[in-house]
Amino acid sequence: MKLTLNPMFSSLLRVPPAYFVFAALFVTLWVTKPQLMNVNVMGVFVRQVAPLGILVLGQLLVMRVRSIDLSGAGVLLIVNYMMSSGIMGDIHVLFYIPLALLLGLIVGLVNGYLIGRRRVSAVIATLAVTTILAGIVQFFASGKPPGAMPDFYNDIYNTKIWIFPSPVAFWIVLTVLMSVFLSRFVFGRYVASIGENPTAAHFSGVPVERTVIIAHVMASVIASIAALVQSSSIAVGSIRVGLEMPIDAVAATILGGVVFGRGEGGVWGPFFGVLCFALLFVVMTSFGVPEPGKLIARGLIILLAAILYGMRAAKS
Amino acid sequence: MTATLKNILTGKNSRQGLWILPLIIVVIGFVSLSVSTEDFATSQNLSNLLKQAMPLIIVAIGQMIVILLGGMDLSVGSMISLTTALLAIDAPAVVTIPLVVVAAVMVGFINGFSVVRLNVHPIIATLSMQFIVLGVAKLIRPVAGGSVPEFLVQWVNGTIFGVSTVFLWTPIVILIGWKLIHGSRYGLHLFAIGGGAAEGQEDAAHNFGISDRRNIIVAYICSALFAALAGAFLAGRIASGDPNVGTIFALDSVTAVAIGGTQLSGGIGGLHGTLIGALLMALLSNGMNLANLSAFLQGSIKGGILLLVVALQSRKKMGL
Repeated sequence: MKLTLNPMFSSLLRVPPAYFVFAALFVTLWVTKPQLMNVNVMGVFVRQVAPLGILVLGQLLVMRVRSIDLSGAGVLLIVNYMMSSGIMGDIHVLFYIPLALLLGLIVGLVNGYLIGRRRVSAVIATLAVTTILAGIVQFFASGKPPGAMPDFYNDIYNTKIWIFPSPVAFWIVLTVLMSVFLSRFVFGRYVASIGENPTAAHFSGVPVERTVIIAHVMASVIASIAALVQSSSIAVGSIRVGLEMPIDAVAATILGGVVFGRGEGGVWGPFFGVLCFALLFVVMTSFGVPEPGKLIARGLIILLAAILYGMRAAKS
Repeated sequence: MTATLKNILTGKNSRQGLWILPLIIVVIGFVSLSVSTEDFATSQNLSNLLKQAMPLIIVAIGQMIVILLGGMDLSVGSMISLTTALLAIDAPAVVTIPLVVVAAVMVGFINGFSVVRLNVHPIIATLSMQFIVLGVAKLIRPVAGGSVPEFLVQWVNGTIFGVSTVFLWTPIVILIGWKLIHGSRYGLHLFAIGGGAAEGQEDAAHNFGISDRRNIIVAYICSALFAALAGAFLAGRIASGDPNVGTIFALDSVTAVAIGGTQLSGGIGGLHGTLIGALLMALLSNGMNLANLSAFLQGSIKGGILLLVVALQSRKKMGL
């Protein structure tokens, strides 16, 4: 389909849709529910999406090298179970952090080996890893929900740093680090070149395989950090298997302008993509939209964002 | 000699992909279950097994059509839920059944149109349709309930000449799938389009005069129609509508297709592989229940087999 767009409109198309959606939702909320517009209320809402926001940092990294990571669900589940079931015996609470990171590292290496070296489809590989991890957790738990989370993490979760709840502050710090990492280090250049064209990157001497493996390892380690934050947000562990988190992470990343299978985009677009999800939740809840409406709105927003990008690609 | 054997076993250079290894696993599972447990090889249990496998077989055939093109349809699960919800609305069958067909064609068309004309990545297009369709299904039927037309329940659960009707439906569905994929010009075009996409030359089929855009849209419509058929079968089995019944099928159908040796980059695969994949998944849950293995390990074993099969396949493309 030939599209003739006016230059003003086509330059607007270059801005990730997340910013527009965020602005629209923000204005809607400002006009209709001004009483919600204070730092404390917003802090509570944004705090809920902090684990998702951290997960997105890993997701955008693998999506920029034309891959995808759905194993976040499995990592989340197993870290959650490890912390709440007492299966590790009587260890110091701080010891859970290196353990979780180690789990993330192992999962990442498995993903990276399968996808980078064995060339397995990333959807299948990470999905299979999630089902395997979920099966292991269910086997150990024999279907019963595990116990309570250590209070230590929940106490940290409820503190505040200046006006930001500490998980939100932590999320922002990690986002800044990722942004610097991708824009100032050679690895960031590798990621960008593979996303643009893997064959060209290979012939220019970029270690494609190694970069893909490292991206997957980093994504899984980041997923384990997200799992730590998510675990500290709840009082009691859960063994419910849900692929919502990684799929939401993919959706937020798309909304933030990382183009699937093409490898464009930055770090702050997806950041606002996640904020959109938080605001969308507030708007829907404050207008009393029931669950089906929420699902439909979510699907429509993702589809429209993707269509905007598709139109842009058709033009160039 | 060993190299040839290895090529056959790993499906190298094969148009059908790696389907012999899964077939061996199925046969071993079948034989060992019939030897070790006496309840397995009874006609009662086999018809149950087929009844459990049937919806997955139907969705997986539709899913395979799309995957052969290098696409993926994640909205099939929601389409199944929507079908059961539509069939259970309080209306006669002459209204609900055309309604289901129209809904499926619409969902498939929107998927295909977004992919072909609006340049949306298949995973994203069908993922958002998954949310939208599930939302509509939940609007129609917020919780499980209602009743589906009586004849559907009869057709699925009844017997004909003393054997379960499922033994009649399975060959019919397989024949339809066979005709569509291996016995028609359309099927040949599917392989041509998918093969080009897998090699990174999306316009290869187009340059040979195949109308690739129309064929891709038709593929998504087929996938949605097969999902609707699976939904009708499920609705007959549970005799009610349920907005959550289809959710697992989105990923289970992809898993079944992948286990059967069809490659997700497109162009390589076949109907028999998909049937083997779907049977393997059904055999696992049925067999593990009979063998008194922990139901909680089922997921792990399914995942392990999937990883084993796909890790043995050779593939050029990295990533998705």
